[in-house]
Amino acid sequence: MLLLSACSGTSSDSPSGSAGGDAALGSAALVVAQGGLGDESYNDLAYKGFQQGLTDNGLEGTPIESDDVVGQGEQILRRAGDEGLGVVVDLEYSHAEVLPTVAADYPNTDWVLVNAEAAGDNVASVLFQEQEGSYLAGALAALQTVNTSDPKINADKVIGVIGGTQSTGIDKFLVGFIQGARDTDPSVKVLTAYSNDFADPTKGQQLAQSMFEQGADIVYAVAGGTGAGVIQAAKDAGHYAIGVDANQDGVAPGSVLTSMLKKTDVAVETVLKSYADGSFPGGTTINLGLAEDGVGLSDFQYTKDAIGQATIDKVDALKQKIIDGDIKVWNVVEQGYPDYYSGN
Amino acid sequence: MTSAPTQSAPVEPDPTPAGDPPLQRILIATGRVARHAGLPVVIALLVGAVVLLATGNDPIAVYGRLATEAFGTPSRINATLAATTPILFTAIAAAFAYRAGVFTVGVEGSFVLGGLTAAVIGANMGGFPPVVAVILPLLGATLAGGLVAAVPAVLRAVWSVDEVVTTLMFNFIVAGLAGWAVQSFFQERGQANSATAYVAENAELPALAPPGQTSWALIIGLLLLIGYAVWMRRSTLGFEFRAVGSAPRFSTAQGLRVRTVLLTALLGAGLIGGLGGGSHALGIVHRYSEGFSASFGFTGIAIALLARFNPIGILVGAILFGALNAAGATVQLFINLPVQLIDILEGTVMIFAVAVFAFPRLSKRWAARSERRRP
Repeated sequence: MLLLSACSGTSSDSPSGSAGGDAALGSAALVVAQGGLGDESYNDLAYKGFQQGLTDNGLEGTPIESDDVVGQGEQILRRAGDEGLGVVVDLEYSHAEVLPTVAADYPNTDWVLVNAEAAGDNVASVLFQEQEGSYLAGALAALQTVNTSDPKINADKVIGVIGGTQSTGIDKFLVGFIQGARDTDPSVKVLTAYSNDFADPTKGQQLAQSMFEQGADIVYAVAGGTGAGVIQAAKDAGHYAIGVDANQDGVAPGSVLTSMLKKTDVAVETVLKSYADGSFPGGTTINLGLAEDGVGLSDFQYTKDAIGQATIDKVDALKQKIIDGDIKVWNVVEQGYPDYYSGN
Repeated sequence: MTSAPTQSAPVEPDPTPAGDPPLQRILIATGRVARHAGLPVVIALLVGAVVLLATGNDPIAVYGRLATEAFGTPSRINATLAATTPILFTAIAAAFAYRAGVFTVGVEGSFVLGGLTAAVIGANMGGFPPVVAVILPLLGATLAGGLVAAVPAVLRAVWSVDEVVTTLMFNFIVAGLAGWAVQSFFQERGQANSATAYVAENAELPALAPPGQTSWALIIGLLLLIGYAVWMRRSTLGFEFRAVGSAPRFSTAQGLRVRTVLLTALLGAGLIGGLGGGSHALGIVHRYSEGFSASFGFTGIAIALLARFNPIGILVGAILFGALNAAGATVQLFINLPVQLIDILEGTVMIFAVAVFAFPRLSKRWAARSERRRP
């Protein structure tokens, strides 16, 4: 919803018009989640959007990192409130209970929680429907794994997915992927594994190699920096990886079938823009799914020919069905585990 | 057995003369702590200053800002003390074991399992009377912490299995166990990442000065610190701890209860670590989640060594590291300072704390070696 209005971009292309009129516009802060900056994934992507948002709207702002972001959360947020900051974007999910009380004590500051939901008139929450994009990735993989005219595809109807850690937040991706594959072709086997590390490419490479040896030809990596190793393994073995969060198609052109984009950068950028516009969506939860273009597949820049237009059209049709509500994608965070996947 | 032998002591803390009045002893101890801990801290600040200069920052300005962010206003002192609380517990736990010459690194595991236990029990305390609702989770946490240490304790005391290895391994086991337990049994629906339900309101350790986060957990930690000081000084077992820590063979020959001491040291560290985790769960985080412990068990080791197990030194060291943690985060609101600088400062203090600690022993060993070489 929010993103759509931003994309239409009719309201304020002149920054001076809105920002100049509001002299009380305070500065911004970005509370970085566990893992810290430099994760080449969630935090870095959000930071990129944060910086872009600052530049576009003439705001001042700074990121805040802490080694103990879980325990220190409340004092950091309160300090930001004490300083009279205009808007604080919090990327750490574990602050969901703390943030509303802090926000209530600092009504003049706007608060944004990403990846979790928090209540409050001056709080906006941003949630991503990662399972929807993962469903499309699973459907695409199930369609492609039988496309044996592609030299990167073997005869076995096996695909794989590697999670960074076993948590519902990650299994949300995994289950969406598995559902997409099952719905498309029930005879496709989906291998699963966890790297238990978001920053270990070597482990990602080993896990992916092992999956390729078991007959897989497409492996989806939902494991931050660990995914770099999965992509490397796919390149070495002459198979495919599927990237996550950012567009990783160009990391190894032709070896990354697609990337499941989670546009944290766009979300943060857009929230900052609406804050600067004076249209901060306080009290609402922004759900960014396929319909809002908050998640989705990349545009197959290097793999268009290998996939073929027919398959791309099928995936597009599935996307439309999810947007229309004809396909319900399982959300592990809200619904728990489905009977076809128990989280192991 | 009138006095503990002090020669070639591997972990001998400086005793203060018991005859002096308490205040004077506190002053003497503080002076010693300043002497031992001062050097590592000064070196760390110098290293940090070099890094700051190299990255185009003014060290004086940054340090000044850090100081104000740590102690500048009552609310900042509150934040510092809140950050001090968990590492106060882990430092006491480490010091407790090290006094007996037992080098456990397993406090981290006890802290984590204690935190999980308290969070799970605390979430089910709705409707219980307030005091019970707090004591039950803390009791469970303490026992859980002791449980983590039980196997290494028995292995060490009975079969002399090296406790560094076993306790380190148990940290990994606990980390895996806690993650699996949350995932399988205690995961709160609607939470994207591993996290248990919020503890019941009556199970929270109340804040001392709301909205600041410093809670009754700090009081528990301080009482524990006093208990540690008194116990080491006044109890027979406390004396045996120091004797065994100073000279294990001599103690065996003297008929001291070496096995009991080793067992108590490891179990005690586990129990204290567990209580620390429980207090952190009920006082600050109010649940167990991924990232519950920011390696507090290991920071505790550094503080214990920095303080040479002296209670006052432990308190000062915990406040120092707490201040770095609290101020290190919020200072970024004002100065474009990467959090890694705080890591460098803490790491340098730790390294030099251990180095300063080991230096007298090394020089003694060198001296002994060169003496042996002499014809």
